[in-house]
Amino acid sequence: MEQILHNLVIGFGVAVTPIHLFYALVGCLLGTLIGVLPGIGPVATIAMLLPITFNLSPVAALIMLAGIYYGAQYGGSTTAILVNIPGESSSVVTCLDGYQMARQGRAGPALAVAALGSFFAGCVATLIIAVAAPPLAEVALKFGPAEYFSLMVFGLIAATVLAHGSLIKAIAMVVWGLLFGLVGTDVNSGVLRFTFGVPELSDGIGFVIVAMGMFGTAEIVANIEMKEKREIFTSKVKNLWPTKDDFKNSWAAVLRGTALGSMLGILPGGGALLASFGAYSLEKKVSKHPEKFGKGAIEGVAGPESANNAGAQTSFIPMLTLGIPSNAVMALMIGALMIQGIAPGPQVMNEKPELFWGLIASMWVGNLMLVVLNLPLIGMWVKLLTVPYRYLYPSILVFMAIGVYSLSNNPFDVLIMGVFGVLGYICAKLECEPAPMILGFILGPLMEENLRRAMLLSRGDPTVFFTKPISAGFMIASIALLVVVALPAIRKKREEVFVEEG
Amino acid sequence: MKIKSQKDFWSGLMFIGSGLFFLLWAIIHYQMGTAVRMGPAYFPTMLGGLLTVLGVFILAESVMMEPEGEKTLTIPFNIIDILITVAIYVVLGLAAHWIGFSTDWAIVISTLIVSVLTVMYRPDAKGLVLITAATVAYGYLMKPLGLVVATAALVFISAFGGHEFKWREVAVLYIILIIFSVLVFVKGLTLPFPLWPEYFS
Repeated sequence: MEQILHNLVIGFGVAVTPIHLFYALVGCLLGTLIGVLPGIGPVATIAMLLPITFNLSPVAALIMLAGIYYGAQYGGSTTAILVNIPGESSSVVTCLDGYQMARQGRAGPALAVAALGSFFAGCVATLIIAVAAPPLAEVALKFGPAEYFSLMVFGLIAATVLAHGSLIKAIAMVVWGLLFGLVGTDVNSGVLRFTFGVPELSDGIGFVIVAMGMFGTAEIVANIEMKEKREIFTSKVKNLWPTKDDFKNSWAAVLRGTALGSMLGILPGGGALLASFGAYSLEKKVSKHPEKFGKGAIEGVAGPESANNAGAQTSFIPMLTLGIPSNAVMALMIGALMIQGIAPGPQVMNEKPELFWGLIASMWVGNLMLVVLNLPLIGMWVKLLTVPYRYLYPSILVFMAIGVYSLSNNPFDVLIMGVFGVLGYICAKLECEPAPMILGFILGPLMEENLRRAMLLSRGDPTVFFTKPISAGFMIASIALLVVVALPAIRKKREEVFVEEG
Repeated sequence: MKIKSQKDFWSGLMFIGSGLFFLLWAIIHYQMGTAVRMGPAYFPTMLGGLLTVLGVFILAESVMMEPEGEKTLTIPFNIIDILITVAIYVVLGLAAHWIGFSTDWAIVISTLIVSVLTVMYRPDAKGLVLITAATVAYGYLMKPLGLVVATAALVFISAFGGHEFKWREVAVLYIILIIFSVLVFVKGLTLPFPLWPEYFS
């Protein structure tokens, strides 16, 4: 306990310095902005800004990028409630009841409950990270190559199980991503693999470029293809403060959402999106009036909104302690660390306590900023929505192109982004999720390295993954997950869940 | 045999194709090594094989199992269009090699040809192709022509890919974006972009 306090003191010491407060603010505002705007998500934004963070200190860079992720959760709910469009995919379920509340003239309370619930969830999640991260990192420090390999297998399998749509396609996307990750110089032999004589490929494909193509250009094209239609809820937002009844109805939902969101955030493949879907189903199940859902039940806003913020924050735990990303945003965070020359993994906490604890403390500070700033600024965010998409997307493209080009001032990077944009478009049409691919992409070289080391240590005996207890645990868990999901009954249920919620 | 799920059928083929490609390329070009000392081909061969097998399963499923509630696949181009596109890039790339002009220009010209062909014959694919072409143009025009021209290409081509295109609006948008880019990225973050074409400055 004392240790935790001591750590938090270090963290807040870092987080409240003016420069870090400034970057937290920039991150939160940017996050809210892109959260409000449909058609651009945190993945593309963080990818765009990665090259710029090169000029910042590691702490400032991570604080800003983290702010974008959880800021987007706040912004997404605003659009969902007022316009019935999820600004962020994790706000899809908020549309259901939030928009209905707005139609009944209760947009104010819906927005307030969403913001306050998110703030509460953010506080709890910050504490959970502070308590849970050190022991986890302690365990992870004892991991050898076999354990790491099995952990990555488990992480990737869990990520595909929790993805939307077909399981087998998601696994194929992971494998494809792993293969793309291998392009470039093989560290062990120095052989150039899959570079086809193109010198730019010898350092591998930059994953920022892949992420921007798969999530950026592909998404813009998808948005253009859908005919533009956007009805803004015109009536003024008044009576921001919820009534006594609203508080009474929503506090339990906030607690449940926070608890569920925190748990789902830690799981590989989890994060904000899964958390909000899960919380909505949970609220509907435990409610005494399930028929009110979809017609403006405040629990349907409070639960998912708390859950997505909690999930967004606790998904930092595996990234910070194990160096393993649980979703695409965390993969980019790892990229940010690597740009700064920091090898992600359990050693970060001991070697760079100011970075680790500063980031955690800044999340709490950022959440506070979001509540204080956003409720008064809602009018401004809503105005932004009246900007037609035909102005927005060329602007987004300018930022993306500058971001990619400035990575190494090489047009080839922009070409690769274009190729992955087309690939992302085709994958979306074929219902192959891009997120598992990005995870595979970032883990490809790491997996190969650990596999090689493990096999070298075991003298080529592949049973090593099942004879070491921790490694065996991960392997058995992965197999169990696959078997369970492949069972016809559960498979059907899983598809139903995603159909109902998606 | 009837294809019951178009989406699964094509994704299956896509995975088989790329799986086999990685597998064969690795086996032919790189050393396999042994399980104890893995060569550069070992892991890619494993993964390529796995991807191929997964692709076969997906393909098999697409002809055997009836999908539930699948929307039809609407994609504004077909496999031949993709092959033609690739062929244009390859031919111009080889031409650049033989005649001796830079491959950068080969890419720019190929992109231009593909864009024109798309607007003429595949108007539904305009969004995808022009947005991709706009970013590619930006990258390749930056060094020879500078930020001002490259941004113009990006904004105007991408705007043309949308539903509505009004010269006036796009011009205003372009002016705002170029001022913003210069102030924030060139002056503020001091990115080393040339502003004007090479021979002007």
